[in-house]
Amino acid sequence: MLSRILEFLAWLAVVLLAALGFWWAGHQRHQPPTDGRTEISWFVPITPLRDLYEADVAEFERRNPGIKVRIIWVPGSEYNAKLKILAAADLLPDLFFTGDVWLSYLLPFKRDITDLMLRDAGEIGLDDYFPEIRAAMQLHGRYYILTEYMNLSLLYFNRRLFAEAGVPEPREDWTWDDYVRAGQALTRPGGPGRPGVWGSSRVEGWWGEWIIYVRQSGGDLFTADGRRSLLDTPEAINGLRFYLEKSDKHGISAPAGFEPLNGFVNERVAMIVGGHVNYWLNYNQMPGLDWDVQLLPVGPVRRKGGELAMAGYSVSITSPHPEEAWALAKFLTRPEAIARIVARGSLSVRRSVAEAQMRDARPEDRPRNLAAAYRQFQYGEHIPRHSHYIEIMLQIVQPEIDRMLLGEFGPEEAGRRAAAAVNAFLATFDPNAP
Amino acid sequence: MNTRRADRLCFWLFAGPALAGFLAFSLWPMLYSLWLSFCQYEVIAPPRFIGVQNYVYLFLHDPSFWASVRVTLAFTVVQVPLALIAALAFALLLHQPVKARGFWRALYFLPAILPQAAYAVIFGYIFQGDGGLLNQLLALGGIEGKAWTMSAGWALPVLIMMSLWAFGYPMVIFLAGLQAVPRELFEAAHIDGAGAWARFRHITLPLISPVILFNLVMGVIAALKVFDLAYAFSITQNIPPGGPARATLFYGLNLYQQAFGFFHMGLASAMAWLLFLFIMVVTAINFRISRRWVHYEN
Repeated sequence: MLSRILEFLAWLAVVLLAALGFWWAGHQRHQPPTDGRTEISWFVPITPLRDLYEADVAEFERRNPGIKVRIIWVPGSEYNAKLKILAAADLLPDLFFTGDVWLSYLLPFKRDITDLMLRDAGEIGLDDYFPEIRAAMQLHGRYYILTEYMNLSLLYFNRRLFAEAGVPEPREDWTWDDYVRAGQALTRPGGPGRPGVWGSSRVEGWWGEWIIYVRQSGGDLFTADGRRSLLDTPEAINGLRFYLEKSDKHGISAPAGFEPLNGFVNERVAMIVGGHVNYWLNYNQMPGLDWDVQLLPVGPVRRKGGELAMAGYSVSITSPHPEEAWALAKFLTRPEAIARIVARGSLSVRRSVAEAQMRDARPEDRPRNLAAAYRQFQYGEHIPRHSHYIEIMLQIVQPEIDRMLLGEFGPEEAGRRAAAAVNAFLATFDPNAP
Repeated sequence: MNTRRADRLCFWLFAGPALAGFLAFSLWPMLYSLWLSFCQYEVIAPPRFIGVQNYVYLFLHDPSFWASVRVTLAFTVVQVPLALIAALAFALLLHQPVKARGFWRALYFLPAILPQAAYAVIFGYIFQGDGGLLNQLLALGGIEGKAWTMSAGWALPVLIMMSLWAFGYPMVIFLAGLQAVPRELFEAAHIDGAGAWARFRHITLPLISPVILFNLVMGVIAALKVFDLAYAFSITQNIPPGGPARATLFYGLNLYQQAFGFFHMGLASAMAWLLFLFIMVVTAINFRISRRWVHYEN
């Protein structure tokens, strides 16, 4: 009898231990403050601007003594994966950083902030945002993001390399042909102890550059309803061909795989088409790097085609404190906060800050041609509001583009393969896209 | 309490926690993933049953699936034999009565304990197209190098070379096997006039054949599951995981991307089950064939 009891107890102990472990793991929640303040959580990727954000939060708490902000810093490379996991676990933070590229995908977790936005339009200064940015904050006419930051495709160039080669700097009315001619004049082969210079970079492994050529050739990624790929159209193929021929025919970019590491910063690449505003901070930390920007060269069919993307803050749909989270979002995107970020090196999403930035620019500031950067706004195009956009571009389309660059097949085959694969994906996983 | 009951009690006391862990953290997730493989599940919404659509998509439409199968099989077929030969060769050398043998054994084992990411960084610098060490050396001889890591044809061979560097674990197992071979057999063969090759061919190899089988089975399973090497490679080369152009898209990496990059948990579960079944079949074949060449003392 005793042995039966002992056996039962042993079993019970095992089961209780396991149950206790599960219970404990499932209830490991953050404990809110006990001083009566309302705590809100803010999920944000680690960034070089961290000191600005922390100072802002301290100031926000000082001005709002009833609110405590818990900042959750996450490495940038893991940010979106962690955010999705929190969403799946119903543990979303009150406020999170996100971009228009994720707008459709994360829509079920974003609070529709249209009511808040319209109520506080005067306080926010909604009219102060560039119209293109205001449009990017919305989906089907409803607001979901309060914008802080943006990226815009531009033509970047190294002024010293242009001067050395005796090539006039890029003009606003440059066409693809002008760009190629300048690239050829700037390209010089390397030699022993003297690294070569390429007229232009060719961004590989990412859509940032080739999408410009596709659009400027009159092509696009998807049909207007987002349910079919257009990469196999003659227009799109023309864009892909120009991207390929930058190296293969015109000789202004390194062959696939030979792109110099950090070529623009190391002054081994004279121009970049597209680029990213994110890099301005890095460029400005390089002593002696004399760089500037210009409008993108005009394509054979149209000038429009560069990327216009933005990022900002969304209030979680499950937030128990939406007003407090909204207050923080407004504080983080007020003109003074944007101005501090812009001063570190970037473009402003607010007109007033942009005007001040151009007015107060010093001769030593880079880029010098801020006016061109802001003019490029009107030629930028939003990222398609497709819930699987990033996956489609990186996982399905990009490998076919890479294979084209590596000489496996031409642009026609690359476009055909990419379109077929995208359409099969959409039919299986996203029949109601976008 | 009788002895049988006491044994049972001890069994449940000691094995119980492990069994509970196995049930909760292995068997249950496996069965759940089998269910998910028939669902569309992107984490942010509940699973939706879609029958065999994930499998149909993988076999008929997914451009990355067959690419990753090809890469993984090519890697396995080339890397596993090369790694076994390298490990056995170094085990034979380190089995010799040389000075500071312990030091040499530790030295040759060292690469096995270094993280794969460290290899990826170092080999990345060696094989980089623009300014890489190898291309600089080739340039001294007037030879134009290639974009090794960015070439669809060369990226996989570069990864195979990187993986061969860490042959420490199979080498140590071979060493243990070699030490278990009775010396008398070598002495008898030597007296009978057998040369070094004949002694290796007719004594060493048959007697360590169970060890070879073990290393072969483990090597094949590890090769079919390669992930960290390819992932670190893509990070250090600043290319999308599996790049360039899916040339290093290992099955494990593709599965990870589908699961944690794009949150297609249903599709990734289907991939995981296909891999599981494939490994089972390959291992069974290995054991079946081993009856012809593996010799056990009994």
